[in-house]
Amino acid sequence: MVENCPTSKGVLDILQADIKLYPPLYEAEKICQFGEFVGSVIESHKTLPRAMEYGRNLINSTVESGKSFPSGMVILADSLSQSKGRFTRSWHAPIGGVWGCMVHANTLQPQSRSFIPFAVGVSCCEVVRGYGVADSSVRWVNDVLVRGMKLAGFLVEAYTEPTYGEEFTLVGFGININNSVFPAELNGLAVALCDILQKKIDLSQFTAHFLAKLACNFGILYHEENCELRGESLSGKDGVHLLLEKWLNLSDTVGQNVLYGFDVMSAPQYRAKVVGIDDSGGLRLQLEDGFEKIEYSGEVRYI
Amino acid sequence: MKNFISKLFKKNREEESHGISTERDLEELLNTGVLAPFECIDVQAVHTGRVVMKLAAGDEVFAPSGEWMQVPGTVLYEITRERNHKLIKAHYNGTVEKVHTEFDGQFVEAGETLMTIKHPLKKKEVIEQLLKDVLFFFPAPETASYFFSVDVQRQVDRKGARVVTIEPGDEVLTMSLMKRDAPVYYDGEKGVIHSVYFKQGVTVERGEPLIGVCSHDKLPVIEKIITKVRADWYRSNR
Repeated sequence: MVENCPTSKGVLDILQADIKLYPPLYEAEKICQFGEFVGSVIESHKTLPRAMEYGRNLINSTVESGKSFPSGMVILADSLSQSKGRFTRSWHAPIGGVWGCMVHANTLQPQSRSFIPFAVGVSCCEVVRGYGVADSSVRWVNDVLVRGMKLAGFLVEAYTEPTYGEEFTLVGFGININNSVFPAELNGLAVALCDILQKKIDLSQFTAHFLAKLACNFGILYHEENCELRGESLSGKDGVHLLLEKWLNLSDTVGQNVLYGFDVMSAPQYRAKVVGIDDSGGLRLQLEDGFEKIEYSGEVRYI
Repeated sequence: MKNFISKLFKKNREEESHGISTERDLEELLNTGVLAPFECIDVQAVHTGRVVMKLAAGDEVFAPSGEWMQVPGTVLYEITRERNHKLIKAHYNGTVEKVHTEFDGQFVEAGETLMTIKHPLKKKEVIEQLLKDVLFFFPAPETASYFFSVDVQRQVDRKGARVVTIEPGDEVLTMSLMKRDAPVYYDGEKGVIHSVYFKQGVTVERGEPLIGVCSHDKLPVIEKIITKVRADWYRSNR
């Protein structure tokens, strides 16, 4: 029996209820309409080797059979047997966590695509805070931390299917919910939501809330792009991207002293202080000699 | 002395097409005493706007520096459009050859030449400049970090880049932007990866070359150019 099996209707109901809570100045209904495709099809599995690999194969077989792949389809698995993180890092994905990916047929402009990683981190942090964990935060770009420990990590990969060359974005997610036992090397570095809240969480319900937030934040991506294409100001404060404004409200990265590197774990490059985020989401770093540098890729660790 | 190297490239291209060796052109380069050659770089307006020049002819200009390129280059001009001020900084070191003072304080169109910088070329740059005629430069589609795709990296690790053959449609690189990894498909002529211009983890500006590719039959010409420049550079600096 599959444990994590939210329904599309459940996701949509939460999205429509959530969107009513938005301030009136936001075009909430439009955002909702833009984002409704997320979770329109949900496939739940007992186990998979890797959700993103499964997603790529499914895209190929669907397109090869002459059908159109449903954008926003979500693939979930109660456990992953060959999961991995960025680079060659391992990712522990046993029963109890939210593991899977969302497949997005890429219809965003290049400048909007770079905000996709922000959308997924913001979505997760919003849900976790909704569960009462007020001290959860996002570390640039999208790691979700609670008290310095990692609760969730995300992978965003583009994929071009070989038959017609259509581009997809696979948004992979790994969220520690009821899986409170970690390998020894992750002790003190990773944490599960059940340990913070001291109770077991309904996995399907959490996932439905997460997907509803993801739908809302993808809706914001399209909405902001639409504003830009119409020559209108973006919806955030002082004309910043609304998603970036939400990210700034959830993140504790600005002001931190950090170690920066493209692969910061195996090849740290330099120490710096985060002094801000530029309009496209780039990290503004002040190095020890006082000069500033903006990074658009890589990762940081707080020191 | 206006852009001697560029003239030479043109000559090389014309003569190459008639099957003539580049030997004579290289001799010309080295025999005319251009052993520390330079390039004249036109600095153009990045977009329309009102410009204020920050330098005069003869001023020295510095490129970005520091271990992480965190020290910005010399400010060349300021441009303002719709209350958006930008300081445009130098990417190259050198000396200001000419400033179009008639544009100082004026509204200019994008691409208007504002000044010219005389940039001394290093040996590596001379070689790269000469190779421009022979290599196909594959540019960065966006400002981001790049690394070779798994397959290409495996071949590079095993045999070195210069024996890796790529052709249009091959997934050669991965672009990493805001932790979003996207495959980059090669769309140039079939050939071997002769030059690699990116380093893993270092941001490449949009339009800057990522790799230089050449067909197998051009490899001997390239090797000849490199050997010649290196030998003569060494001889002249002994």
